[in-house]
Amino acid sequence: MKMEDMSLSGLDNTKLEALAQDIYSDLVDDACLGLCFDVHRAVKQGYFFLDDTDQESMKEFEIVDQPGVDIFGQVFNQWKNKECVCPNCNRSIAASRFAPHLEKCMGMGRNSSRIANRRIASSNNLNKSESDQEDNDDVNDNDWSYGSEKKAKKRRSEKNPNSPRRSKSLKHKNGEFNSSVSTDLYKYNYNTGISYETLGPEELRSLLTTQCGVVSEHTKKMCTRSHRCPQHTDEQRRAVRVFLLGPSASMLPDPDSVMESDGYDVSDGQVLMGRLQWDGSSDISPSDSASSKASTTNSDSKRTKKKKPSSLSLTVVGADRGEREDRGGREGGSGGVGSGSSSQSALGLPGRKKKPKLSAPLAPSIYDDLN
Amino acid sequence: MSKDSQMRAVINQKLIEMGERERLKELLRAKLIECGWRDQLKAHCKEVIKEKGLENVTVEDLVAGITPKGRALVPDSVKKELLLRIRAFLAQHAT
Repeated sequence: MKMEDMSLSGLDNTKLEALAQDIYSDLVDDACLGLCFDVHRAVKQGYFFLDDTDQESMKEFEIVDQPGVDIFGQVFNQWKNKECVCPNCNRSIAASRFAPHLEKCMGMGRNSSRIANRRIASSNNLNKSESDQEDNDDVNDNDWSYGSEKKAKKRRSEKNPNSPRRSKSLKHKNGEFNSSVSTDLYKYNYNTGISYETLGPEELRSLLTTQCGVVSEHTKKMCTRSHRCPQHTDEQRRAVRVFLLGPSASMLPDPDSVMESDGYDVSDGQVLMGRLQWDGSSDISPSDSASSKASTTNSDSKRTKKKKPSSLSLTVVGADRGEREDRGGREGGSGGVGSGSSSQSALGLPGRKKKPKLSAPLAPSIYDDLN
Repeated sequence: MSKDSQMRAVINQKLIEMGERERLKELLRAKLIECGWRDQLKAHCKEVIKEKGLENVTVEDLVAGITPKGRALVPDSVKKELLLRIRAFLAQHAT
């Protein structure tokens, strides 16, 4: 050992350098050999080519680095608007609400089987006011909607009576109401992803005539009790109707008059509007043509009508008008018999105006009777 | 000549005995992976394998194809650092 040390010390620098180079190349060769063994083993085991992919898939799965999207190039909050279709009831439910919905729909959890059974029963039954009224006994029912898909959509599209948006629409009660409401609604629908257009005004109206309809602040669902439900005030109910149906429906609906009002049509409303503008005194007169079918229409509904801004054309048949005005004056005295109602609710929704088709032929006979 | 090779064997043995060779090997490995040498060589391996055929390739083929390239591809910084450590070892044990 000592002798070897001596011999090492005797080496000159060049020899030492050559030795270092040798050792280095040995090490590199070792590394290469190790790599070769690794690769050879990988080839023979068949996993060597697993990690490389072709160009197309590399392009396809390229990491996206742009603001507003995730690394897959997707908008990162798009799931918020996703809707799932419930396999049980085939309704589409917002993804965030799907789990609780499914729990209740499938009849799991507290009280839910009872609710689900009731829902099935009520969806088969067109006149569901009874079961709906019972349903609100349970607090849990508030975030649950019954009935057909249309109903559910509609309830969603309605708003909390206490929300800022609601108060905003109330401000327009006597002004350009229709336009503001409709834009409001569309905005809302856009946010929630529910299309309001699919819901016919008939459903809205029939629902509101049978139910309280006040929209809950927490659940955005409508109260399904009767009009006299103690939980909500008349003011709230009125607000909901004003919002959904327009100012003419601001009064609490009387079931009778509502039923009658269903017969009204677009151009009838136009006629009424025209006449209202023509003769300022006509509290009542427009109702005559409207009430040709509905004898109980009262002056309240007429007044609300009068408040409406009428951009409508004044297409009135001259001959009829005189007669109606006459009758209007007469009926004015006896007006107000009915319970102030939303009988004119058909006017509420934008683009839905009354037509005189039904009332026109009937009018003469009624006039005769009255005269 | 015989003295030269004998001395080389002695030094190699000393490297192994002291564990310095293992340490150097590990250092080199880490450095080469770090600088991408290993990936480059793997890509080269693929060419060799494709050329020979997946089933027919042998370790000898790979070594013959890879080693020259492997030597050439080692970055200068790694080479320098390694030589420095080898020289330090030699200087420490040659005196």
